[in-house]
Amino acid sequence: MSLIKSMQEKILGRPSSITEDMVRSALSSIMDPDLGKDIVSLGFVRNVVISGTDIKLDINLTTPACPVKDSIKTQAEVALKNLPNAGTVSVNMTATTRGQVTPAGSPIAASLGQVKNIIAVASGKGGVGKSTTAVNLAYALAARGSKVGLLDADVYGPSIPHMTRPDAPMQSNSNLINPPMAAGVKIMSIGLFAGGDKATILRGPMVSGVIKQFLTQVNWGDLDYLIIDYPPGTGDIQLTLSQTAPITGAVVVTTPQDVALIDVRKAIAMFDTMKVPVIGVVETMSYFVCDGCDKKHHIFRDGGGARVAKEFGISFLGDVPLEPSVATASDQGSPAVVSHPASSAAKAYTEIAGAVASQVSIIHEAYKDALNHFSIVWNSQN
Amino acid sequence: MKPESSLTNAKGPAVRVKSISQMDDRTLGITWTDNESSRFDVVELRRKCPCATCIDEWTHEQILKPEQVAETVRPLKIESVGQYAMSIQFTDGHKTGIYTFAMLRRLAHLN
Repeated sequence: MSLIKSMQEKILGRPSSITEDMVRSALSSIMDPDLGKDIVSLGFVRNVVISGTDIKLDINLTTPACPVKDSIKTQAEVALKNLPNAGTVSVNMTATTRGQVTPAGSPIAASLGQVKNIIAVASGKGGVGKSTTAVNLAYALAARGSKVGLLDADVYGPSIPHMTRPDAPMQSNSNLINPPMAAGVKIMSIGLFAGGDKATILRGPMVSGVIKQFLTQVNWGDLDYLIIDYPPGTGDIQLTLSQTAPITGAVVVTTPQDVALIDVRKAIAMFDTMKVPVIGVVETMSYFVCDGCDKKHHIFRDGGGARVAKEFGISFLGDVPLEPSVATASDQGSPAVVSHPASSAAKAYTEIAGAVASQVSIIHEAYKDALNHFSIVWNSQN
Repeated sequence: MKPESSLTNAKGPAVRVKSISQMDDRTLGITWTDNESSRFDVVELRRKCPCATCIDEWTHEQILKPEQVAETVRPLKIESVGQYAMSIQFTDGHKTGIYTFAMLRRLAHLN
C-alpha cells in the first residue's frame, strides 16, 4: 500500500469494504437490449470475487456472437469503478449459448440431442445466394467462438462441399456417420456421397429418407448452432425438415427485385404455417460498388428486402453487396468471412451473424417453457 | 442497423405445448405456453380428424361421418410433429391426422 494511501486511511478511516450486494446493485442498471431485462436479474453476473477494494467477476452472455458484448463490458466497468473506494475492476466476458433440450428417447436424440439451436436458411426461389449466406453465417458464428455445424439439405443441387471443401473422409461410428470438418465447422451434404459432378436423381419419398437420415443418423455432437441450407421453394424437403427437427428459427434470403420478393413471401408463409419463428430477412446482391468510381449501383433495384421485412413485421438482418471476391472465394472453397474478412460482404455477414445470434436468444426466452418433443403412450382401460 | 425484436410475425410468439398428459380413460390434457389449459375428448378428436381421407381436400367437406367412429376408440400413441402440431395413432388403425396446435386451440375454445 502506498504511503499516501495509508496516510489517507489514518486520517479518513479505512475505506468501507465493497460487498457483493453493492456490486450487483451497481450492475442492475445495465440492460440486455435484446432480452429487455437487466443483466443481474437475467443471472449473467457470476463468480464475483472481492478482495479488499478490487472487484473481479464474469458476465456470462447467451451467445459468444453477442453484438452488444463490448458495450455491456464497458458499462459494467464504468458502473463498478464508480463504486465508492473501488480499486481495480476486472470484468471477464463469457458465454453459454442457450438452447433447446431434446429429451432422451426421441428419434433425433442420438444425432441432435446436444445441438442447442437449429437455424434454417431458406429462400422462395433459387439463385439468390442462399448457400453463400448459409456458409458465411456458419463461419461467422464459428469465428466468434461458437461450435457450428452446416447441413446441406439441397439434395438436388448440393453446393456446400464445393464451397467449403471438407477435409476428412467419412467415418462410421457405431450407427452414426461422423461429419467431416472444414475450418472447424462440421459439414454434411449428399454431395459428399455422390461425388461433385454426379446428379442426384431421386423421387420425393427417397429424398425425405435421405433428409431424415441426416437428422437422425449423423453424429452432430455438441453444437451451439446447426445451420441448415434449405433447398429453394416450399416443397417436400422443407416439410420433412420442419416436421423432423425442432427448428429454432428461419433466416429468409432474397435479392431486392420484385420477382424474388413474391417467392420470399411464400417462404415466410410456409414457416408461419409450421410455426417456425422467422428470425429475419437477408438481402443479397444488394448493390455493386464500381471499382472505377466507388459509386454504389443498385443493379436489382433498392431496398426490397427491408420492405418485405417491414410488411411482415420481422427483422431486416442486413444487406450484402455483390462482390467479385465473394464469388471467387466461394468457388475456391474458402468463404468470404474467412478469406476476405475486410471486404464489405464479409463485414455484412459478420453483422448478420450477430443479429441472428441475438434473435435466437430472444426466441429461447419466449419459448423457454415449451416442450420440443413429446410422445405419450395411451393407457387404455378396454 | 439494429433489428427490432420479432418472432414468427407481428402477432408475437405462437403458443406451444408446455405439458401434455392423459387425464383419464378418454381425456387428454394440454397446458399451453401461455398457461391456458385445455381438455380434449379423444373420441371427439378422432371424429375431428383433419387428414385428407377424413376431410375433402378441395371442398373441405367432412367425409368421415361421426357415427363411423366407435365410442370405444382410443389413442395408442400421441407424438409431436415439428414444433407446431401432433399426430395421434388410434386403436382403429387411423394415424394420418396432423392436429396443429392452432386447430386444437380452436377446438378447445368451441367447447
